[in-house]
Amino acid sequence: MELIFKIAWRNILRHKGKSLVIGVILFLGAYLMTIGNGVIAGMDKGISENIINSFMGHMVILAGKERSDNVLFKIYGKSVAPIYNFIQIKKVLQDDSDIKYFLPVGKNAALILNEDSDMGRAFLLGVDFKAYRQMFPDSFDIIEGRFPKENEHGVLIPAFARKECYDFMNIWLLPENGKVVESNLTPEAKENRKDLILKDQEVFMGARDDNATADVRVGIKGIIKYKALNAFWGHFMILDIESYREALGYFSAYEKGESVPRESQALLNLDNSNLENMFGESAVVVADKKREEIKSFKPAVRVNAAPLNLDAGAYNLVFIKLWNGADLEEKASLLNKKLKEKNLDVRVVTWKKGSGVIGSLAMIIKGILFGFVIFLFLVAVIIIVNTLSMAALERVPEIGMMRAVGAQKSFIRNMFVAETAVLAGIFGGLGIILGAVTVFVLPAFHITTQNDMLQLLYGGDVLNPILNAGDIFLAIGQLALVTVASVIYPVHIAKNITPLDAVVRD
Amino acid sequence: MNIIEIKNLKKDYLLGKTIVPALRGVDFVVEQGAFLSVIGPSGSGKTTLLNIIGCIDFATAGTVKVGDQEITSMNDRQVTDIRLHKIGFIFQTFNLIPVLDVEENVEFPLLLMRKHSRTETRKRARALIEAVGLNDYIRHKPAELSGGQRQRVAIARALVTKPDIVLADEPTANLDSVTGEQILTLMKAMNEKEKTTFIFSTHDHNVLKFAQKIVQLKDGLIVQNQ
Repeated sequence: MELIFKIAWRNILRHKGKSLVIGVILFLGAYLMTIGNGVIAGMDKGISENIINSFMGHMVILAGKERSDNVLFKIYGKSVAPIYNFIQIKKVLQDDSDIKYFLPVGKNAALILNEDSDMGRAFLLGVDFKAYRQMFPDSFDIIEGRFPKENEHGVLIPAFARKECYDFMNIWLLPENGKVVESNLTPEAKENRKDLILKDQEVFMGARDDNATADVRVGIKGIIKYKALNAFWGHFMILDIESYREALGYFSAYEKGESVPRESQALLNLDNSNLENMFGESAVVVADKKREEIKSFKPAVRVNAAPLNLDAGAYNLVFIKLWNGADLEEKASLLNKKLKEKNLDVRVVTWKKGSGVIGSLAMIIKGILFGFVIFLFLVAVIIIVNTLSMAALERVPEIGMMRAVGAQKSFIRNMFVAETAVLAGIFGGLGIILGAVTVFVLPAFHITTQNDMLQLLYGGDVLNPILNAGDIFLAIGQLALVTVASVIYPVHIAKNITPLDAVVRD
Repeated sequence: MNIIEIKNLKKDYLLGKTIVPALRGVDFVVEQGAFLSVIGPSGSGKTTLLNIIGCIDFATAGTVKVGDQEITSMNDRQVTDIRLHKIGFIFQTFNLIPVLDVEENVEFPLLLMRKHSRTETRKRARALIEAVGLNDYIRHKPAELSGGQRQRVAIARALVTKPDIVLADEPTANLDSVTGEQILTLMKAMNEKEKTTFIFSTHDHNVLKFAQKIVQLKDGLIVQNQ
């Protein structure tokens, strides 16, 4: 081997130009791959932390009859099945020492009804605001208005959703009694400043597969902006759970408390001018109402004589945060077992499954990057193959002579592999080292962004690439692959050079 | 004792659709320790004959025995092994490894054999370098040597494995007459000292005086064997 590496090294030095071309290609490939891996790993970590800490925790409980694990971003109109037995689930969760917090929520899509323009669409997250803040204390900033008081009815509108409302419905949403904050206007809204239609209330009508929904008017308490990944979370308007239940046509805690049959509740909620709706299949369907009728809606007014037990009503999901260190898959499996033993007809999935494509986003982007790098390396392989093949043909007398004096084909093969491996080791290794240094140095610059697409790539609002041993091994593996792929054809040429070829050249 | 036995050796080359016979039935034997010259005009089959004896080309028909081994039926790995252990080559154009110096070039076949210690390898290489008079050029690369010096390196390399046979195809063709004569004198001295069989081809009548035996070829057939 010493002889092979001696010849390989001296040949590299002898053909400096070719060696440099191959080396630069290998260096760039390894450098870009290492940085790319670092950014993707950082994104993966960022998105994971963001989803866990700001939106849905480590695990989520779904209703047993819910078909899909992906409940966060379901296709619009496909409703998430309700959970009616949270009180029993709560007991199981309270007894589990690995669980730090849990938060039952309503989560479904809704239509935004509007007397002045077309209907809009929204994702609703029905929560007990106090419990929500306790579980996700630092997920968003309130940029206008205020956070709702305990048991107060109202909605928090993300700035992202407000922009969408403006784009699709031409309405600028404000907190109750709020004024337009000029600096928060979108460029389009600024252009149309004089004619802005302002609203501080929203009428939501839940979107369920069975259409058994109602409309509910709620006041806007605040405009929020998520600290990161606003493009994802900004779709969700956060509504108090009771209004949410009413909009979705679920039993609310209030209804449970009063023990009034649901049909009767629907009748009681009907407006006097729409008595003919009493005779429809569903007394509360309003999807085909005319705008004039919508105008006559009254805000939901409710007097709570006694504190409500919110747990008694329907939810769709329960978000769970664990204490650090618990193994997610193992924990989900254990919890599923416990819930099954109690016949609670629910199941637990990890945040990755629950968040669907977002949870796998890093993996998808990593796949795309990998494809790009493979393409880059393929180009590199073609250039290297060409260069090495030319080198093999130029060295026919030398190789033929080696064969003549007794070098087996394996010696020639090893000599070519060694030459490429030395180049890959030096230049590719340098690329990996410099890439790793870049990845470790980048966070020191604290590069931040407010751009939604860049936040996606950063996995948050700060570029924080990380590199783990696996990624470095992956880069080394790719280099090895390139080396092997690059020498196959040149080795084939070199191995087929016979001593006779050397003599014929003479 | 015969070191080489050739019977009815034929070699055809295919040029397009035309078959060109290079050897048309050659029979002869070479005794161990011979210093044999193969002569003949260009195209007579000298190089082809040496190539087949040296296991770098294959016969179309006939048999060739090197020592006690029939080489015409061997595979590539086996003939390569024969070349390494039993045959030394001296080419017309010297053919050294450009990135290795004189000593490393001479050591090369020994390192391929992988059966000698580092010390033994160095000792044998240095002894031969001294014998061919290149002690002062031991660290020189081929590009830094004259044609005659390169051919001396090739001779040392051919002898370093102590082969049974050294084949030299026109070893003096690219050398001036004085240097050519020096090279043949050296080969002859090695032949006498090591008892190695030398077979060299030439069409230079001035070098024939060194030969113990001459085989003359014409149109692929032996016309004289003396």
